[in-house]
Amino acid sequence: MNYPVWNLTTFGGGFLIAFVAVVHVLVSHFAVGGGAYLVMLEKKAYRDENLKLLDYVKKHSKFFLLLTMVFGGLTGVGIWWTIALLNPAATSSLIHIFVFGWAAEWVFFVGEIVALFIYFYTFGKMDRKNHIIIGWIYFFCAWMSLFLINGIIDFMLTPGAWIENQNFWSGFFNPTFWPSLVFRTGLSLVLCGVFGFVTAAFLKDEKLRHSIMRTCAAWVAIPFVLMLIGGWWYSIALPEGPKAMMMGKSPEMGIYLQTLLWFLPLLFIASMVMAIRLPQSFQKGFCFAVVAIALIYFGAFEFIREGSRRPFIIYDHMYSNQVYVKDVPEVQKAGFLPTAKWTQHKEITDENLIDAGRDLFKFQCSACHSVNGPLNNIVPIVQKYDNVFGMDAMLNGLGKINDYMPHFMGTREERWALANYIVHGPDIRSTKEITPQHVAHETPAH
Amino acid sequence: MNPATLIPTPDAIPVPWGWFYVLLMLTFLLHILVMNAMLGGGIISLISALRGGEQNILLGKEFSYKWPYTIAFAVNMGVAPLLFVQVLYGQFIYSSSILMAVWWFSIIGLLILAYYAAYLYDFKFDALGGLRIFVLEFAVLIMLLIAFFFTNNMTLMLQPDQWQAYFSNASGTLLNFSDPSLIPRYFHFVVGAVAVAGLYLALIGQFRFTKSKVDREALIDKGMRYFTVASGIQILLGIWFLLALPKEIMMLFMGRSGYGTILLLLGLILAGVALYFGYKKQVVNASIATLVLLTVMILMRDLVRIAYLEPYFKVADLTVRPEYSPMIFFLVVFVAGLALIAYMLKLAFGCRKEVTK
Repeated sequence: MNYPVWNLTTFGGGFLIAFVAVVHVLVSHFAVGGGAYLVMLEKKAYRDENLKLLDYVKKHSKFFLLLTMVFGGLTGVGIWWTIALLNPAATSSLIHIFVFGWAAEWVFFVGEIVALFIYFYTFGKMDRKNHIIIGWIYFFCAWMSLFLINGIIDFMLTPGAWIENQNFWSGFFNPTFWPSLVFRTGLSLVLCGVFGFVTAAFLKDEKLRHSIMRTCAAWVAIPFVLMLIGGWWYSIALPEGPKAMMMGKSPEMGIYLQTLLWFLPLLFIASMVMAIRLPQSFQKGFCFAVVAIALIYFGAFEFIREGSRRPFIIYDHMYSNQVYVKDVPEVQKAGFLPTAKWTQHKEITDENLIDAGRDLFKFQCSACHSVNGPLNNIVPIVQKYDNVFGMDAMLNGLGKINDYMPHFMGTREERWALANYIVHGPDIRSTKEITPQHVAHETPAH
Repeated sequence: MNPATLIPTPDAIPVPWGWFYVLLMLTFLLHILVMNAMLGGGIISLISALRGGEQNILLGKEFSYKWPYTIAFAVNMGVAPLLFVQVLYGQFIYSSSILMAVWWFSIIGLLILAYYAAYLYDFKFDALGGLRIFVLEFAVLIMLLIAFFFTNNMTLMLQPDQWQAYFSNASGTLLNFSDPSLIPRYFHFVVGAVAVAGLYLALIGQFRFTKSKVDREALIDKGMRYFTVASGIQILLGIWFLLALPKEIMMLFMGRSGYGTILLLLGLILAGVALYFGYKKQVVNASIATLVLLTVMILMRDLVRIAYLEPYFKVADLTVRPEYSPMIFFLVVFVAGLALIAYMLKLAFGCRKEVTK
């Protein structure tokens, strides 16, 4: 209500952030663990005087540089870019509360880049001991990046005592900080094995290939335990609200939970398959399947974490649609549109009923609902409401019967305008007429 | 509609604004230096490739080794000023970004493409052969486009009176073409980048950081020539930019504000000094003069920002909810980080060319 809303319709409902975030988190966690993997293998190569292995580590470091620094680094900036466009109020909140956390993270980001460039460009030219030190510094900086961002991400789900005392450290070391750190550290190490399969699968030397495959399988298997412990601890550290939401109170959660539960063991099994002596042609293809499984598994986890926050973007502080919890009483009294800045329809009249409704949809609904898009499509959900009274009653029930959504914010007249827009407005109505088959797909939302 | 009613309510800051101001100016200077080397270096390589000749091709090869890390650091050094500008001016920059969201969002994808193109240019310089120039053109054009989007956003955020265009187009495809200072400002940045990149190449030659077979003297000579020519053009562009600013803002530098007038005079004198050293091919002196000049120009740029926003907002208006411990934590990390980087650079420069045990 403070900021303009980018009118996305099809790609609304958080599609852009889901798209950027899912690919980023996989690569960025690999960027953390990958440092340890490179150094450990490099040390092993020195110990065994295995020049072939050393050559592999060097090649893997090039792959690592091109994937993590270019793609990982830029998609990371991309997440910030995207959230600022989709949810500027929450972004501004996180930036202002944690500005020095972000600033410190930036310092480690600099350290990470310097270390990785030196590691890559001096491979084989630097004193072995020093080269290993550079590798460890890289890992330390990358892990510290994780440490800092982890605090801020978890704050959004479990702000803990910050809600009362507004203290930086209370918000940072929030109730899910430590379990999430264990989980993510474990995961980042698992991913070294997963991406290691990819570079190893293309090695010509069969003996070396099989040996590295087994090493990678161990890199998946051992930290897998750490990841499971972290995940279990995380789930019990969650407060009641998010826990209930996670356990399926939110209707879209079921599919993500099922995906997570299937793909977690699948990731383990697929990784162990890579350890078996199999033809290279198979391994060349299957290594990408393992990456895809990891992507789906971790994507499902991130969706669940985001979904558990409903109906908030920052728990107990700001709703998904950028309204501060503290502002709600004022909004209820004065109305949403008069308190919103970026609307021309401050008052509702018979003439502007649909246009005011469109603005209300944009401000209150479009953060989570697309119009005919892949995420949370509004069209099939409102299909059955063919009259405004029914729709209005449904809007009135929001946040009460189904508390995974925010309640409607504003006056009764505004609610009526929104209901009119949904039922009679050209954007949603016309598409309903074109695609009546959507009825069958409807997920009961209440 | 009064444009002021559109401006979102800002969030509180944890320490007085002066801290963020200093951090913003400092990190922006770092960003500009590296960004100029990245963009200007690309442009110079492209001009050299088009002109042909052995030394020109070798110049392109020399820069190809440097390009990927100038991109990495340009992005990295851009993160910090973008953070601090959001702290001080978030309500403006978030709004203007949304008005041009499609272009602003595209920057990420474009930059990934340019970055991979630069790596291709680096790792496959010889293998690419005739295709090399296309890869170079591709990356440079993308960077020029990104710079254009940045210029748009940095001006649009200062002009809430232009924001009402949102009510006729909320799809995020607006640009700030109605601003007469947009084009001179853009060229002022791009040509400035060529000047600084010329110096950067000359410095590489001067301090023997060359990796290719390029002749050091030729590299210094060419770098300094690009620096001098671009700096000369830059003075003319600067005057155009100044004249394109709204009159009351322009007058700040021409008598209305003592601080502004001194900055402009200082800028002109420093530009003259830098040109003189450039002409004399004194690389180090020209670099020092340019560094001071860039600092002056960044302060001038900020004065323009303050003046544009003056009817609406002053950073001193921001609510301060004091909390110093996170800042102390950051400063400690910052100093430790610098020490760590210095240590790593020491190891890197000290390393010998052979594998030792």
